[in-house]
This record gives sequence, C-alpha cells and structure tokens, in this order.
Amino acid sequence: MAKELTTESYIDHHLTNLTCGHVGMDESAGIYKSFWTCDPYMVDKMGFWAFHVDSLFWSVLLGGLFIFLFKKGMSKSTDSNTAPTGMQNFVEMCIEFVEDNVQSLFGSVKNTLIAPLALTVFVWILLMNLMDLVPVDFLPVLAGHIAYAVAGGSVDWITSPESFYFKVVPTTDPNITLGMAFAVFVLTIYYSITVKGLKNFVAELTLHPFGKWLIPVNFVLEMVNFIAKPISLGLRLFGNLYAGEMIFILIALMLFFSSIPIGVLGFGLHLVWALFHILIVALQAFIFMALTIAYLAMAHETEEH
Amino acid sequence: MNINATLLAQAVVMIVFVAICWRYVYPPILATMQEREKKISDGLEAAKKADDSLEEAKLAFDKELDKAKADAAEILEKANNRASQIVNDASSKAEAEAEKILTAAATNIENETNKAKEELRQQMSDIIIETTQKILGDEVSKEKHEAILKKAAEEL
Repeated sequence: MAKELTTESYIDHHLTNLTCGHVGMDESAGIYKSFWTCDPYMVDKMGFWAFHVDSLFWSVLLGGLFIFLFKKGMSKSTDSNTAPTGMQNFVEMCIEFVEDNVQSLFGSVKNTLIAPLALTVFVWILLMNLMDLVPVDFLPVLAGHIAYAVAGGSVDWITSPESFYFKVVPTTDPNITLGMAFAVFVLTIYYSITVKGLKNFVAELTLHPFGKWLIPVNFVLEMVNFIAKPISLGLRLFGNLYAGEMIFILIALMLFFSSIPIGVLGFGLHLVWALFHILIVALQAFIFMALTIAYLAMAHETEEH
Repeated sequence: MNINATLLAQAVVMIVFVAICWRYVYPPILATMQEREKKISDGLEAAKKADDSLEEAKLAFDKELDKAKADAAEILEKANNRASQIVNDASSKAEAEAEKILTAAATNIENETNKAKEELRQQMSDIIIETTQKILGDEVSKEKHEAILKKAAEEL
C-alpha cells in the first residue's frame, strides 16, 4: 500500500495524527465487531472517542520532562546556603519570570495555584513548541521505521514505514491547544464561582451591559464573550504553530524539485525561518501564559455592576 | 484536524501536571529562593551594620587618641612647670644661701676689723701712754688720765 510520494501525500503525511480509537462495525453478514485500532483508514468511523496518540505522547513526555527538569535542577542544592549553579539558575530564572508576570497581572490577590499553573503552562508549551525546530522529517520517519520494524508483521495496517503517521509538534494539534484552553476555562469557572460566589458570577453574565430588563440579550453577549476567551486562547497558539509547521513543510518540499539552486535556497530559508520561529515559539508560550494569568485574574475580580 | 477526545485527555493531563507542579515542584523552589533572598539581604544588612560599627569604633578610637594626646600634653606641661619650679626654687635657695654666706662673711670681716681696730687703738693708747710716761715721768699715769685717754681713743 506504499503510496507514491507526491507533494500532496507528503504534506498530508505530515498533517495527519496517529489516531487510535474505538470502532464498532456492523459487517455485511450481521456480525457486530467492536475493537480498538489505530488504523488511519478507520479514523472516520471512530467518532469523538478517538485519541491522537502522537500528540498525547509528546505532550505527556514533555510535561514529564518539565517536571523532571524542575525537580532535578533544584534537588541538588535545596539548601539556600550554596550559590545556585547550572540548571538551578535556569529554574530560578523561569520562576522569577513567572512570579514577576503573576505579580504584575494579579496584584494583591493571593492564590498559590496561579504561579505554578503559569509556570507549567509556559515551560510546557515552550517545550512543545520547540519540537517544531526538530527537522520536520526526522522524527516521523524514524518513528515510522521503528513501528514498521517492531509491528510491521503483526499489525495489519502497518504495511510500510510511510503508513505509520507520527506528528511531532503537539501544539499544532488543535485538540491539544484547545484542551489546555479548556482546562484554563474550567479553572476560570471554578474560581469565578468560589471567589465571587455563584450569585455574583451569574449576575456578571446576565446583568451586563444592558441592565436587568434585557437579561437574555445580556446573557447571549456575555456568553459569547465568555466562550470566546478559551477558544481564542487555544486557537491562537494552534494557528501560530500550525502555520509555522506548515511553512517548514513547504520549505522542505523544495527538495522535490531536485535542483541544486532551489535546494540551497531551501536550506537557507530553513535556517531563516527556524531563527524567526524561535521568536514565535517563545512568544506564543509567553502569550498563552500571560492570558492564562489574566483570565484567572478576571475570575478573581469582583466588580460592582 | 478533527476535534476528538484528545482534547479532554489533554485537559486532564494538563490538570495533572499543574497539580504536580503546584504540590511538589513549585513550593520548594520558591521557598529556597525566598530563604536565600532573605539570607542575602540579612547578610547585606549585617555588612552595613559592621561598616557602621567600624565607623563608630574609628570615631571612638580617634576620640580616645585625642584625649590621650591632650592628657599627655597636660602631663608634659605640668612636668615642665614642676621642673622649672624646682629649678627656680633651687636657684633662689642657692641665691639666698649665697647671700647669707656673703652677709655672714661681711659681718665677720667687719667684726674682725672692729676687733683689730679696737686692739690697735688699745695698743696705740698704751704706746702713747707709755711714751708719754717715759717723757713726763710719773706725772702722767694711766689711772689719772683714764678719761682723757678714753676720749682720745674714741676720737682716733
């Protein structure tokens, strides 16, 4: 089933997740089959309950790396008597950066969750975004070959290294970015209710901006406002990284022309785009963190209406 | 690019990581940093205090030194005064002694002179009387002309 390598299939391969899900099939003879599979041809039949295993794999791996680095970097000299060195400096720099941001956006409100949340979001997203700087073909091709070597014979849908999809940058998967935005959204609602009280929270959503005689209109307007926040939060990160990844793929495509000048140009563009992308990587991680803090700060503000 | 359960899984994963960070990672790092911050500011304060006390000690030292110098000067002056007084005393005493000795010597000389004069007068009057006796015979006797002789002696 090895498809011919075309521009379209190349791009397609890079934009398809390794999706595993539950499939129930009513085959022609009336036998109902129900099973788990990661077969890319079954994706349409999986419905909502499917998982992007590659995105989640990198997400969990990089999240674990974050925890490991910050735990390890600090554990060597947890006593405050020695001057910090190496990794500890980096860890403390991150913490100070996050503390500064939380301080400036949150002001006097004391909530011990905000800073760890902001730190996790920032470092984790930064690590996930940084996966974009690994050459686009490197990890997917490696994963394809490993999968083919390990399971090529036993799993029917792995017919060639190319049939195994493996997307590397989790933040180019809207599920991942919207998932994180969703978690922030849940926290926002939780703090809105616990800090402001349910009554004030509901009042904020209904008695604004037109007063109590237009509650339905208020509610619709405020709801749009309320829902737009997490969606824009998730989609902003996704859009930036997806576009960045797309450009890497398109630049990589220049090699298809098999002409030396275009290849050299492609190499140069790769370098330029990678350098520029470092800025986007850090900036988007920072923006996600700052907005997370800002939304949670809003959840703590009790305004009089 | 389908939206599927990955979204929920990621939300759960995120909450788990945030919880781990919140519970186990962040507090010890922050505590260490704050502790060190406190230690450094304490250290700086202590250094400032030490500087201040050094300054104070220097001032006290200078004061003591000035006082000691003043004391020394005073003692020296006293000693000088005393010394010059002793010298003065000694010299005035010596002068007085010398004066006394001179006076005594002068008195002595005068006495001796007087004595010698007296003796001389006596001898002279004796000689005169003897001579006169020899010339005049017994007409003139010492006893008879005692008064005249005495007067002559006094006039001499």
